[in-house]
Amino acid sequence: MPLPLPAILWLSIALVAISQVMILRSTVRAMRAAASAQAKRGVEWAYAIIPAIALMVVLAVTWQAARDYAVRGDLETRANATSAP
Amino acid sequence: MSTPAGAVVREPSLARDLIALTKPRIISLLLLTTLAPMFVAGSPSWTTILWTGIGGYLMAGGANAVNMYLDRDIDDMMVRTKLRPIPSGRMAARAVLAFGVAIATAATWLLAHFVNVLTAALALSGFYFYVFVYTRWLKRTTPQNIVLGGAAGAFPPLVGWAAVTGRVDLASLYLFLVIFYWTPPHFWALALLKQRDYGKAGVPMAPNIWGEHETIDQMLWYTLLLLGLTVLPVTFGVFGVFYLVSALVLGGILLQGVWQIRTLAARGESWIPAAWKVYKFSLLYLALLFVAMAIDRHF
Repeated sequence: MPLPLPAILWLSIALVAISQVMILRSTVRAMRAAASAQAKRGVEWAYAIIPAIALMVVLAVTWQAARDYAVRGDLETRANATSAP
Repeated sequence: MSTPAGAVVREPSLARDLIALTKPRIISLLLLTTLAPMFVAGSPSWTTILWTGIGGYLMAGGANAVNMYLDRDIDDMMVRTKLRPIPSGRMAARAVLAFGVAIATAATWLLAHFVNVLTAALALSGFYFYVFVYTRWLKRTTPQNIVLGGAAGAFPPLVGWAAVTGRVDLASLYLFLVIFYWTPPHFWALALLKQRDYGKAGVPMAPNIWGEHETIDQMLWYTLLLLGLTVLPVTFGVFGVFYLVSALVLGGILLQGVWQIRTLAARGESWIPAAWKVYKFSLLYLALLFVAMAIDRHF
């Protein structure tokens, strides 16, 4: 049975995105509770947001790669169907 | 040498100290995450495996030795590290630095000469990231030290991949990200257990600055993120069913362990055995996940 790849893709992306948002939320909460100086808070925020932005870029590239993979799979299936006796 | 309890303690020697400087136990996992991706990337020759393994060991060992040189002021304050060669007085700090730089330089040459230049450049980047970005900059300045610092430990799969293919692509980037996002739940489990040590040494680990509850919450979110991330390479054809099932089962076990810490902490009960379990299992998790990747590609 073939894997339901689109469902796996979107479920995983949703899980990753929600977790990342919750990490940022938790970091902001922790920074406020730690009562760090304003300048330090800016740096801490940068440390948290940089990996999040990079991850979003990777997810966008992954979506593209998954789409290309699905199209390739379709083309192969069609080629096999037409070359069958 | 024997202790009164009968346990055998080895006499210190220069050779043993030099090996200890490289942190061989940690490197064994780094080597696995270097070599397994080589089998995901293709079918490497034995010579490529051998030189990448030797170069990888020397580069990581060099980084660990330089780390011990830079952390010599705090290693003496922590139970976990005070028996290392410098704080125990068995080796001079400068000799440790020279040893670390020498073997990292040898590793760069070996990798560039016998494997390829990209592999050497990536391994050297990992060395610089660990020494300068993590140890010198992040470790003592932010509770997010091991979040960004996790990138240092995530270079080995890129090194292994580049050794076989001569390039870095999306699949290899995912292997990097797996280690990057595995690092917080793994290290914070240890940081929860060693809070007093880190506090004494003035290292701002998350549990000491943010508190236990916030750290455990973040461990949970990082573990969930890791679970989603490990599944994604399946969607663009890098891995198949065997890997998918392995990633889900291993991720599920890790998640269950972190959830247990969270539940116990919320109830005000002792979470220490659960944290030890998560710390130890997270090591096994990473090893088994990378083995599953290699198996999936070849069988």
